[in-house]
Amino acid sequence: MPRVYWPLDEAQAQTSALYAFMQHCERETHTRFSGYLELQSWAVRDYERFWQLFLDWSRLGVTGAAAPVVSERDCAKARFFPGLRLSYSKNLLRGSAGWDDRPAVTGITEAGERLRMTRRELRAAVERFAMGLTRLGVGPGDRVAAVVRNTPEAVVACLATAAVGAMWSSVAPEMGEAAVLSRFSQLQPKLLCTHTEYTVHGVRRSLLGRIRTLIGDVPSLKTVVALDSGSGDGKAEVAFLPRAELEQHGALAMDEWGEFPFNHPLFVLFSSGTTGAPKCLMHGAGGTLVEHYKEHVLHSSFGPREKLFFHTSAGWMMWNWQLSALACGTEIVVFDGSPTYPTQDALLRMIDREQVTVFGTSATYLHALQQLGMPPKEVGAFARLHTIQSTGSILYDAQYDWIERDFKRVRIQSISGGTDIIGCFVLGNPLLPIHRGESQCVSLGMDVRVITAQGLRRHGEGELVCVNPFPSRPVGIFGDDSGARFHQTYFSQYPGMWTHGDQVTLSEQGSARILGRSDGTLNVRGVRIGPAEIYSIVLAMPEVLQAVAVEQAAPREPGGSRMVLLVVLRGGTSLDRALTLRIKKELSQKGSPAHVPAVIAQVAALPVTDSGKLSEKAVRDVLHRRPLSNRAAIKNPEALDAIAAHPDLRLPG
Amino acid sequence: MNPLRQAVVDWLDDNFHFGDTEALLGGDDEKSFLRNGILDSLGFVKLILFLEDTFRVRINRKDLTRENFDSLGKIVRYVSALPGYREGT
Repeated sequence: MPRVYWPLDEAQAQTSALYAFMQHCERETHTRFSGYLELQSWAVRDYERFWQLFLDWSRLGVTGAAAPVVSERDCAKARFFPGLRLSYSKNLLRGSAGWDDRPAVTGITEAGERLRMTRRELRAAVERFAMGLTRLGVGPGDRVAAVVRNTPEAVVACLATAAVGAMWSSVAPEMGEAAVLSRFSQLQPKLLCTHTEYTVHGVRRSLLGRIRTLIGDVPSLKTVVALDSGSGDGKAEVAFLPRAELEQHGALAMDEWGEFPFNHPLFVLFSSGTTGAPKCLMHGAGGTLVEHYKEHVLHSSFGPREKLFFHTSAGWMMWNWQLSALACGTEIVVFDGSPTYPTQDALLRMIDREQVTVFGTSATYLHALQQLGMPPKEVGAFARLHTIQSTGSILYDAQYDWIERDFKRVRIQSISGGTDIIGCFVLGNPLLPIHRGESQCVSLGMDVRVITAQGLRRHGEGELVCVNPFPSRPVGIFGDDSGARFHQTYFSQYPGMWTHGDQVTLSEQGSARILGRSDGTLNVRGVRIGPAEIYSIVLAMPEVLQAVAVEQAAPREPGGSRMVLLVVLRGGTSLDRALTLRIKKELSQKGSPAHVPAVIAQVAALPVTDSGKLSEKAVRDVLHRRPLSNRAAIKNPEALDAIAAHPDLRLPG
Repeated sequence: MNPLRQAVVDWLDDNFHFGDTEALLGGDDEKSFLRNGILDSLGFVKLILFLEDTFRVRINRKDLTRENFDSLGKIVRYVSALPGYREGT
């Protein structure tokens, strides 16, 4: 067991919402829970009763029948609360005593511009935008695509889209043209909401080229709404509908917003796997809302006194996650720009100045600060900051000590889940101590276990699976009408269980340590990239015959990883510097900067299985010096020996 | 050819501009990295570590200012004046 970083303070624990909910469950079930582990044990055993009690306790705005809780008990098929209806946006913007005139969202740009909206102002803006959408004929089932910066107007557009029952799907401006197209062309959106430019390190960059391509290649697009008033060259060539015009037709008052079925699609997020085009995961309004509310209120202790800043773009699921914090009255800060502009400590200064109470970030950013030798405590006192949430990659033990010594002694919550469930499997907990390097617990009500060499286990190291139904699984993949692709992706490996693709260690004390991906998906600073996207770009280059992209532990970043691309080149071609740069450039331009590997290495051959498939798993095992589970199934094991001996691919030590 | 200058250009090519660094500089070694998008937010962190590793120098974190690092010319002047810096190491 790793050392305790933050011991449990019983008195403080008893003031938490999780404690109050536990007492509620005790009263309702006439059961005594000695602590979180017993509560969790009951919640997974009787998950239908748990979700019913949670919904009742949460006072989220729903109508209809809360029974049945699930349509069926089969994990692969269960739908939650088929008799309920709700409005996601209404739940986020509802007024509670004294909330209306408190700040709801604060937008900050790297140039220091600041826009703060109260809940009343945010609601009014959403009502105007929703009226505009309605007049354009956008309604239930339609898709609204968005290329947006992380700004308050993106929040408004998203909540208005949800208010009229359409699906919102956003990417960040940095994403490359081909990657944006491969996503939005599948969705056939009716409307595009976009900024026309973005700024990186003080430099304005136009999005007009990408917008023109989208208009040309996605014929379903009827309208393009410009969220900003950028004036780049060629703007006149695109028939933008300025946001101000969209909003000039009055308001669709919140009372008039429809309520939609619990499983009505709300967000489309993209998850690219090891093969094929990125999957368009449709997440339901109810599942997203109740799961986020549970994670925010019970696990993260968010409430109306909190001010959350999660450092994310609108293209990462953490954007959707932090947005939902509005439902518990928490103010959210959205930041548009570079964290180190105009000074290296710009983001830290903003957090200090804004008096953020909960800072969400990645282990990579914290590691970068540490490497830079820039103690945040020298930037400011962070007087109100009490919690740091970290996700995207593994926050290793020593980082806890660095945060305590050089940042501030705050609660550290290492959380992990992903796009596929728009939430977390492991996260923080006010009723448990914090151990270095570990997530405190498994998410309440989720029966998370591991598949080990000995089979399905509650504890130990193995592949993360969830064996009971949970409401935030996707309601489907857009375009996958039969559900075959969805089931193939998540339920085919171990029938009846959700297979997430992570390796994890679950301790007997209930804590968890994520160890990395168990499948071929690449995790680049928290952004999941399917190797298929990499292959489609590099294999289009005439010199490249075969390629395999895998993750490897980063030599200088404990807990971090780097992407390695192995290529087999056509007859006689050698990987010189010029070709290496050209491959990187293709990946950067047609994918995104995250698609660019840290290392590209030429090999004579890649390992091939008996069935003729390239084996990413064998390459991964060799690069991590792990015993090969399937060497016998590799037709050309000498290829693995050559990879193991490659000077550019060896790990130190 | 100044090996320090070349090493920084190669590093920028390898990590960010993939062969276009010289074109971005346009013959002006005093061009601001920040104002012209030549280096991204976390890029400076990597650059500092690269310089320390490659040239066996120690860069005082208090010196990480625009005056010292915001252009190729500034970096070359700053690093080559550090104690212990030797060309070609």
